[in-house]
Amino acid sequence: MNWVFILRDGLTAALQGIPVSLYITFVSLLIAMPFSFLCAMARVKRVPILSQVITVVVSFLRGTPLVVQLFIIYSGFPSVLNLIVKANGWDFDAFGINPFVYAFVVFSMNVLGTLTEVFRSSLSAVSKDQTEAALSVGLNHFQTNCLIIIPQALVSAIPNICNEFLNLFKSTSLVYLMTIQDITGKVRIVAAAGYDYTEAYFVIAVVYFVLGFTMEKLFQRMEGRLKTYKAAPQT
Amino acid sequence: MIAVKGIKKSFGSNHVLKGIDLSLEKGDVVVILGPSGSGKTTILRCINFLERADEGQLTIGDMQLDLSRASSRDILKLRKRTGFVFQNYALFANKTALQNVMLGLTAARRVPRAEAEQRAKAALDKVGLSEKYDFYPSQLSGGQQQRVGIARAVALNPDVILFDEPTSALDPELIGEVLNVMKQLAKEGMTMIVVTHEMSFARDVASNVIFMDGGVIVEQGTPEEIFDNPKEERTKQFLKRILLEDEAETEIALAREKVREAQQID
Repeated sequence: MNWVFILRDGLTAALQGIPVSLYITFVSLLIAMPFSFLCAMARVKRVPILSQVITVVVSFLRGTPLVVQLFIIYSGFPSVLNLIVKANGWDFDAFGINPFVYAFVVFSMNVLGTLTEVFRSSLSAVSKDQTEAALSVGLNHFQTNCLIIIPQALVSAIPNICNEFLNLFKSTSLVYLMTIQDITGKVRIVAAAGYDYTEAYFVIAVVYFVLGFTMEKLFQRMEGRLKTYKAAPQT
Repeated sequence: MIAVKGIKKSFGSNHVLKGIDLSLEKGDVVVILGPSGSGKTTILRCINFLERADEGQLTIGDMQLDLSRASSRDILKLRKRTGFVFQNYALFANKTALQNVMLGLTAARRVPRAEAEQRAKAALDKVGLSEKYDFYPSQLSGGQQQRVGIARAVALNPDVILFDEPTSALDPELIGEVLNVMKQLAKEGMTMIVVTHEMSFARDVASNVIFMDGGVIVEQGTPEEIFDNPKEERTKQFLKRILLEDEAETEIALAREKVREAQQID
């Protein structure tokens, strides 16, 4: 084991990569959350056509490997775009799109697939009598959803959102395939000089674990605070 | 003041209501009795549009509605004049007792916060829960939850409160506290339609008792007429059966008491 590499070069590179990994994780999640929530609502309310389309797209996103999705978007899409650009004679470099854009698209799409299912199940887990009670005191459907149904659904979705968040965070290690220098990318580059790959992956694993563990704890704390109404002690 | 005419409702090929007429004056307490599956609950749910009736007319004060075709605006208007108490309480799980009672005032009726809080507290005080304002439903017993449910309806100052088997989900020892609150309300002149199996409540409080079976009203009259002098064979049989069940329950309760005493002696 090359400890000097682990403690100096590897760790420094990893720390430099952390903001990039977090940036991609958070932006993708922020893009995916509202969309997946709307998709889930559309499915729960059985909006015709839209709900069937969502079902198909979600199964596709959940049923194909992330790496494959990534290469379809990252390699396939520019080629197709390039053909279109050429055919129309536009002045646009189809291969010059910032890889971050691809990262946001791939990861938010991927997490959208699973989050839609998470929100759908937590929305349908809110018991029907909550809706009826809200309607009976004179609330309209919009108020019922905003004040009663969605708050309860979100709280019960937190553990699963946490899961998705951690999965996403770990999956972003694939962005090095698109030349983005996140934690994995940065450490792999410095490892190349002395061929310290074993040490490099050791550093990467430790850094991901520490960050992932911290996030998990933060989520648990948030969940504990938000669900006070649920597991309250009997008096 | 409140009248429903010709409610019909079927679920698939199952005709649950086959033309029901009801009418109440202000301050009336109508109790609807009947075996399970006779459509009692469906009447209440149709009146509050939690279920769409296939046919029927509803008059409430100066308002007239077609139960099968009313617009969502009219339904909202109607719901602001009625209160509903659910069998399983159906309190908002993410709201405290006070918030549960206030929500219909602040969100649905645009009552200013301070006034809403005052009215909500008064309603909770009335049902004997002045100590429990800030408790979540999960922290309350079934009886307490149902009293919050009643307070939630009362605070809205509705023209009528619909009670859907308010004590059916409760442990026997908690039924009394809920019935007492309901009796108090009746005494104060609240107009109520109550679906229940509590015969003593029907006998003591009802101004009118309706016996239903198979989606039709079999017999109706004052409590004396129905309980002491039923005319229809189906009514007689139903009352006899309920009486036997009540006796059996009393016996079970007594037996339990004995077991408990014996355990204490050990």
